Amino acid sequence: MAQPPPDPRFVLRGTGAAVHALRFSCGGEEPAVPILFSGSENGFIHVWNLKTHRVDATLDGHGRKSVYWLETMDSKDRLLSQGRDQRICLWDLAEGRTAVMDSVFTENVGFCRSSLLKVAQGRWLMAMAAKTLEEVQVLELPSKTSVCTLKPEMGAKLGMPMCLKLWQGSCGSQPSLLAGYEDGSVLLWNLSTGKVLSQLICHQEPVMSLDFDSERAKGISGSSEKVLSIWSLNEQQNLQAQKTHRLVNAGISDITIRPDKKILATAGWDHRIRIFGWKKLKPLAVLDYHTATVHSVSFSDHKSPSDRLLAAGAKDHRISIWSIYTQT
Amino acid sequence: MRSAQRDAVAALYRPSCLPLLGFAVSLLLGLAERERAKQIKLSALECLRVLLLQGECQEHRWLREEQAQRCGDLFASFLPGVSLALSRIIAGDVKQGHGVTVSAIRLFYQVVVSVMADEQLARVPKQKEKPPVEQSRITELIVHRGPEWSKSTSEKLSLLLRKIVELSSVHSHWRVRLELVELVHHLLSNCRLSLVDSFTHLLKALVGLVNDENSEVQSRCNEVLQGIAEQQVIAQNRALADVLSENLHSLATALPRLMNSQDDAGKFSTLSLLLGYLKLLGPKINIVLNSVSHLHRLSKALMQVLELDVTDVKIVEDRHCVGGYDPSGSVQHGVQKGRSQRKYFRFFTEEKIFQLLQQVCRVLGYYGNIYLLVDHFMGLYCESAVYRKQAAMVLNELIVGAAGVGVDVLQEREVSLSMDDLKGSVTSILEEYTDQTNWYLVTSIDTEEISHEQLSVPRSGLAALPGAACSSILPSPDPHVTTRTMNSNVWQLCIQLEGVSCFAAVLGREFRLLLLSALYPVLEKAGDKTLLISETAQGTLVDICEACGYDSVQSLINENSDYLVNGISLNLRQVAHQPHAAQVLSTMLRHSDASLLPLVEDVIQDVLSALDLSYSDQASTFLGVLHSLMAALVQWFGPSCSKEHQQRQAAEGQSRTLSQTQQEITSQEMERFFLDYVKQKQIAEGNLSDSGDEEADEVPSLAKPEPSNSDAEGETPLPSHAQLAKDVMERCIHLLSDRNLRVRLKVLDVLELCVTVLHPHGNHLLPMAHRVWPALVTRLISDDPLAVLRAFKVLCTLAQKCGDFLRQRFSKDVLPKMTSSLLSQAAASARAGPVYNHTLAFKLQLAVLQGLGSLCEKLDMGESDLNKVADACLVYLSAKQPMKLQEAAQSVFRHLMRVDPDSTWLFLTEVCCPHPYKAPHTSLHPVKLRGMGRQRDEFTDNILLLLEELQQQERAGAQRAPPP
Repeated sequence: MAQPPPDPRFVLRGTGAAVHALRFSCGGEEPAVPILFSGSENGFIHVWNLKTHRVDATLDGHGRKSVYWLETMDSKDRLLSQGRDQRICLWDLAEGRTAVMDSVFTENVGFCRSSLLKVAQGRWLMAMAAKTLEEVQVLELPSKTSVCTLKPEMGAKLGMPMCLKLWQGSCGSQPSLLAGYEDGSVLLWNLSTGKVLSQLICHQEPVMSLDFDSERAKGISGSSEKVLSIWSLNEQQNLQAQKTHRLVNAGISDITIRPDKKILATAGWDHRIRIFGWKKLKPLAVLDYHTATVHSVSFSDHKSPSDRLLAAGAKDHRISIWSIYTQT
Repeated sequence: MRSAQRDAVAALYRPSCLPLLGFAVSLLLGLAERERAKQIKLSALECLRVLLLQGECQEHRWLREEQAQRCGDLFASFLPGVSLALSRIIAGDVKQGHGVTVSAIRLFYQVVVSVMADEQLARVPKQKEKPPVEQSRITELIVHRGPEWSKSTSEKLSLLLRKIVELSSVHSHWRVRLELVELVHHLLSNCRLSLVDSFTHLLKALVGLVNDENSEVQSRCNEVLQGIAEQQVIAQNRALADVLSENLHSLATALPRLMNSQDDAGKFSTLSLLLGYLKLLGPKINIVLNSVSHLHRLSKALMQVLELDVTDVKIVEDRHCVGGYDPSGSVQHGVQKGRSQRKYFRFFTEEKIFQLLQQVCRVLGYYGNIYLLVDHFMGLYCESAVYRKQAAMVLNELIVGAAGVGVDVLQEREVSLSMDDLKGSVTSILEEYTDQTNWYLVTSIDTEEISHEQLSVPRSGLAALPGAACSSILPSPDPHVTTRTMNSNVWQLCIQLEGVSCFAAVLGREFRLLLLSALYPVLEKAGDKTLLISETAQGTLVDICEACGYDSVQSLINENSDYLVNGISLNLRQVAHQPHAAQVLSTMLRHSDASLLPLVEDVIQDVLSALDLSYSDQASTFLGVLHSLMAALVQWFGPSCSKEHQQRQAAEGQSRTLSQTQQEITSQEMERFFLDYVKQKQIAEGNLSDSGDEEADEVPSLAKPEPSNSDAEGETPLPSHAQLAKDVMERCIHLLSDRNLRVRLKVLDVLELCVTVLHPHGNHLLPMAHRVWPALVTRLISDDPLAVLRAFKVLCTLAQKCGDFLRQRFSKDVLPKMTSSLLSQAAASARAGPVYNHTLAFKLQLAVLQGLGSLCEKLDMGESDLNKVADACLVYLSAKQPMKLQEAAQSVFRHLMRVDPDSTWLFLTEVCCPHPYKAPHTSLHPVKLRGMGRQRDEFTDNILLLLEELQQQERAGAQRAPPP
């Protein structure tokens, strides 16, 4: 018999606004406290101490405009945050500092989350939606030099990019970019040539989020429809639709595959978090706690698998922390 | 002897003189033993000592070791005789006086020490020296103190010592006991190896005397023990440790039996013995603990001894009045701080025995391996419900001891426990304590609760612990739980709560981290209905505050409200835990202040939505929370606002009476009157736009019908507390017609509070009042008298706040019914005897009469309604009515006088008129009043009183407003 879905392990309150972005940083050794970053609609980034379940620090760097993307660079001391003030900030949080070290002005008015990929020690690539509506720009960090600008062909009518995922196959291979667009299509870009490798129309509505498993060369995307779409990438670098999964309620705002590639979580507009097995997309659980749209889901990077957590941030100002399927 | 020179003495102690000495010794012994005169006995013993040990003579201190050694050899042959004789003396009749016994004891140990001293025996050569031929006969008398000899001697001595110890440790004179301590001291320090066999008895005597009634004996005993511990005699001497642990084992085995059979004093000494052993063992305790059988015996003994007496019925009976809001509560708690509940044990009654047991546990915790101990006792805790309370008690004390708090020990432990280890243990114990199988125990069989318990328990078992083994020990849902079980559960919870206190005290500020898991359960229990539990929990809260460095319970709750809110919100999701969550929220509200509101707002919405899902079965639980919420809101936001308002109202009322009593009416007043009239008329036509708005009086333009206006005002954001009150009120509307009378009564209470909170926000209150009205009317008209009573109270409050908004409804829906019931009841009350005062009907009448007057005034009733009221109340002015009702009726008329003095006067004089009134001019009709010239009847007194007052009021009014 299936167990009833669990209750949240804990609920973090006090962001004072809808939560749009979450990022764990729990990989540190014992004395280091596990941390969860949360970005909320009022422009604040909260640094949650997961031992005390309280806010350790509050970062204010986006002019009270919604923060919708957070990413750490290696350690919890370097944090990237993207906000609706069209800036991406790099924070220095070492030794209790809370200063913006650097920032990039994106000039993009959308809400496409950027994507970060570590290509070598101390060298990252960051893909972000650019000033021109359809374009995606890839920067190298920390130097901020532009690597390429990905411009769809004239007349492609893709609309704005909605979600991005930079990835790299086995070591040494070229990094590529997967981008979901407003018209429902997912494009695979070659970063070195700046050309489209493959295009697949996954949805009728804008692609809200996607995640990609480079080991299985398989990805999943969600849109504002009632459908999750699974697609794969073959050896010829072609995207192929594999199957779709119908949902009861429409709207997926975030999809995350757990780092061990066993399960994935979706954040639904129907206030629910859904857990699926990644291999066959078997529905495993529906986590029902929030009372408004869930905006973001994120898995933690704890060293020991049994400690690993799932966090979900929602419009009801709460962040729920779950401990699920840690044994599997 | 004393004056003898050195060489003479030396000569005397040569082996050759042995027979001589022997003769002297036996003579003296004989004297000491058999002589009657005390003096002679004493001097014989003294002489003997001098002879054997060179007395206390300073000159002879120089006796070299070698010589001492030789003396030892010499006296070894006397030892059996001397010791036997001395022990006989010691065992002799008490009448011989303590002096003799004391000196006999002293002599005994001196002799033994001189012969059996470890150093000497160590130096004795293995082989017997070859004796010089010529002295062979004498030499044969000299004993060779080889290992065999010392072994057999020590066996024999051990018998004697045992006898001595047994006799003298209970000797009535303290000097004897003191001397015994000395004996033990000397033997223990000098004959460590040779007399190992006797140590059992010696230590027993020593440890037993630690708690002697004589302070001198006590302190000396302590000194000796301290000395022994400091020298690390035991630590170095494995044999001794073995002896001790053996003693401990046998004592632990015998303990339950002794506890059963001995009286309190006996128990006390037995336990101090136990404590003494543990203290002596000190750091070596772990050797004992590592042996399974020792640990087992010891723990079982503790379990048995600590068994609580749970037959007291009162524990379960004592309970709080539920939902009673006591704002002074948080202040009182300061007083009860740190005082744990007095427990009643099955096997003993004295508090000091319990203290001893506490010490025993603490010492164990101090020296012992905390992980081992905690693990073992946790095992016992889980093993059986019989041991649970005792094990919890022991665990609490272990932790206290491990932290080194309140332990009285002889020596420092080698390594003190690190904070992390301590925290680890505490965390695991805490987890076990607050596990739902151990925390949610059946402590009451409320009719109200039982349905929930029955419903919840199996569910919690299924939902939370699927297939877990623990489900078998879940509190049984059987409603026939005996009082005994419940008592036992109550005690267990108390002990666990006290444990939390201990842990907090031990960890200090480190405990803050554990508040995450500990605070919620404690608060849950602070709201428990059983008095004992809630008091203990409140004490625990205070302790936690102190330990974690919070100023007050309030700041503890405020600063950790995020943890609590989290717990509440998660628990609300499970039906089984909803009542607990509700309790926590109530407790939180009760102990906190307005700054808490933003934090709990979120969770209150959760409560309301949970209530929405379960109106039928959980309503009464949630109403409790809503009641405490509203009461808190009234307390936080209410008084200041309403006070202000009352002042304003009072001022207005005054000005109104003034203006009415004024004879001269200015043009301004005319205008004002007219505007008022227009406004009143509009209201009467059903235009409700802003009639509740007090300021509207000054702004006539607002009185125009403007439906959009009221909408716009309704949208202005309410302060959060008012919004909450509104939400709560909304729920109340539905619940007003609940089937359960108790629920209805509670709802009415909550409703009244809601009205009070919402009061400053007329624009929101009035629509709500409009919606509440139908349900409220039903309560007023056709319900149980109790509900009517409450409903009437609500009505009065509502009238006070809403004013004339309710006038028409009141006069149409309620007044007819009310007046008719007053009239019909009047007959009954007029006839009734004094017992009637205690009936519900009387209370209802009284309440209505007391409230009606102000109600009329507040609602600004029309003339016909006032007449109805006056008619109904008139009967109560009758002298036949109970006094209280008469007074209440008078008060109604007083209010009526204020509203409309003229018509009241007329009404009253219709009934009874004391003065004939003459028309001022003949052209006018003669004044004729129906009351004129009537016979004095039952109404006369009261009416005369009222008319008198009316006249005074008029006069005062006239004076206050002098003619212009």
